[in-house]
Amino acid sequence: MNATDKTWPWKLLLAVILLGAAAGTWGAVQKIDYQWRWNRVPQYFMYLAEEAQKTPFDGTVTSVVANGRDLTVTLTSATAEKAVFTVTADSFKAKAGEALFAGDTVGFAANWRFGPLMVGLWTTLWISAVSSVFGLILGLVTGLARVSKNITIRGLALVYVECIRGTPLLVQIFIAYFFLGTVFNLSRNVCGVGALALFAGAYVAEIVRAGIQSISKGQAEAARSLGMTTFQTMWDIILPQALKRILPPLSGQFISLIKDSSLVSVIAITDLTKSGREIITSTFATFEVWIVVAAMYLLVTSLLSQLVYYIERRFAVSD
Amino acid sequence: MIKAKNVVKVFPGYAGVVRAVDGVSTEVARGEVVVIIGPSGSGKSTFLRCINGLETFTEGHIIIDGVDLANKKTNINKVRAEVGMVFQQFNLFPHMTVLENLTLAQRRVRKRSKKEAEDKARMLLRKVGIHEKANEYPSRLSGGQQQRVAIARALAMDPKIMLFDEPTSALDPEMVGEVLDVMKQLAKEGMTMMVVTHEMGFAREVADRVIFMDEGKVVEVGTPEHFFTNPQEERAKLFLKQVL
Repeated sequence: MNATDKTWPWKLLLAVILLGAAAGTWGAVQKIDYQWRWNRVPQYFMYLAEEAQKTPFDGTVTSVVANGRDLTVTLTSATAEKAVFTVTADSFKAKAGEALFAGDTVGFAANWRFGPLMVGLWTTLWISAVSSVFGLILGLVTGLARVSKNITIRGLALVYVECIRGTPLLVQIFIAYFFLGTVFNLSRNVCGVGALALFAGAYVAEIVRAGIQSISKGQAEAARSLGMTTFQTMWDIILPQALKRILPPLSGQFISLIKDSSLVSVIAITDLTKSGREIITSTFATFEVWIVVAAMYLLVTSLLSQLVYYIERRFAVSD
Repeated sequence: MIKAKNVVKVFPGYAGVVRAVDGVSTEVARGEVVVIIGPSGSGKSTFLRCINGLETFTEGHIIIDGVDLANKKTNINKVRAEVGMVFQQFNLFPHMTVLENLTLAQRRVRKRSKKEAEDKARMLLRKVGIHEKANEYPSRLSGGQQQRVAIARALAMDPKIMLFDEPTSALDPEMVGEVLDVMKQLAKEGMTMMVVTHEMGFAREVADRVIFMDEGKVVEVGTPEHFFTNPQEERAKLFLKQVL
């Protein structure tokens, strides 16, 4: 392409195609009988929880102080014990000086709480993060084992990689939970994280092996010829170069892992996907909830890939 | 200093085995500069690589300062620390600066302090004429500069012997001179050197002894004067006719 060629017609075409696709989808949705209820979604991110405030002892209301929209209510018992409650003004039905008995509701306090979408997102994030760390360690060790001179170690690594790569993750999660979980009495979180880590580890191992083998033999020879040990050569020379080279496929693997973590919802771990399913059973806002759930996954994976681009640029100084 | 006795290196090949090094015996004294020449595939590089254990040999003995490499109990890393090697492809560590390239093995193997290693590195970089590039990455250097860094890196370990495996073969012609100058200076300072090269001028000027190899065997050995003016073997005569 000539450097002076205009790019804007192509950008315009891109915009037209994307808008066309959006309009087509919108048009198709209009044809079916679906009631959009976007207003039901926000409460599943955060909601105002009304919690009953109950007095722990018999006492009388000694002071009621207005505090914005809330009331600060102080109760005093016969033995001069004091208890202070903050409740919303319209939920306070008693009067100053009135006697209340233990277990009576003084009023309701309103507090912001994270909804199921946020709790589910948090679960997805920590499950992905923990299994990524274990997957990376496992993959690094297995990748090194794959290039080992020892036939036993190499064979073990090969069997592990082939077994994991040759079976579906969903089946692995079932085996981890229903078989291993039962035999070794493991919790569902351990089974879920374990299955994901084992799965990621096998793929990371192959990426690491490819990275190590892509570094020219001369690098290892130069290091060894200086008297460095096999371990020093691997740690100081081969791995830093291999890591830089495998960063793009490695980040792709971890992005996959975040998405694959949705499968742990089948063993009743309430991650983002399972939260979505639960919300749908009570709202019937199927379209909206799945679109929101997809957008939340997309947000997390995009942030991760931006982070990796940043690291890649940092690594590029020696090029 | 180096004593090679009947060294044989066999590679398994498609048509039976290949005897890459076939019964080579030689001795190199302290301070001697030995140049190995021969056509490609003659086993000269393989023999050189056997001397610091980058290739294992099938039969024979290589004894460096009284340590036999054929002995399984020999700590090859200790031997390598005393035997510097310079490669055709430089093999600098691309993810480290020039200075880090020179200090890494000093610190890891020789256990020198950071300051000690850096002082040594800067001294050697000055010696090979590129101390101003200490903080550059190897990719910013020309081929000749990279090879001089590689020589300095090997020297930083204070080796007793330096091995050069076709150090100028991957260089642009105008950069060959700067590398050969460094090697000549080393030879003058009394470094024990074994050099595999196609640079006949260098062999003639610097070598104490020339070894001509073909098909894994030593065909002719002699002083440069004898070898280049009056070779005895037909194979050596033919080779010289083609390269000179």
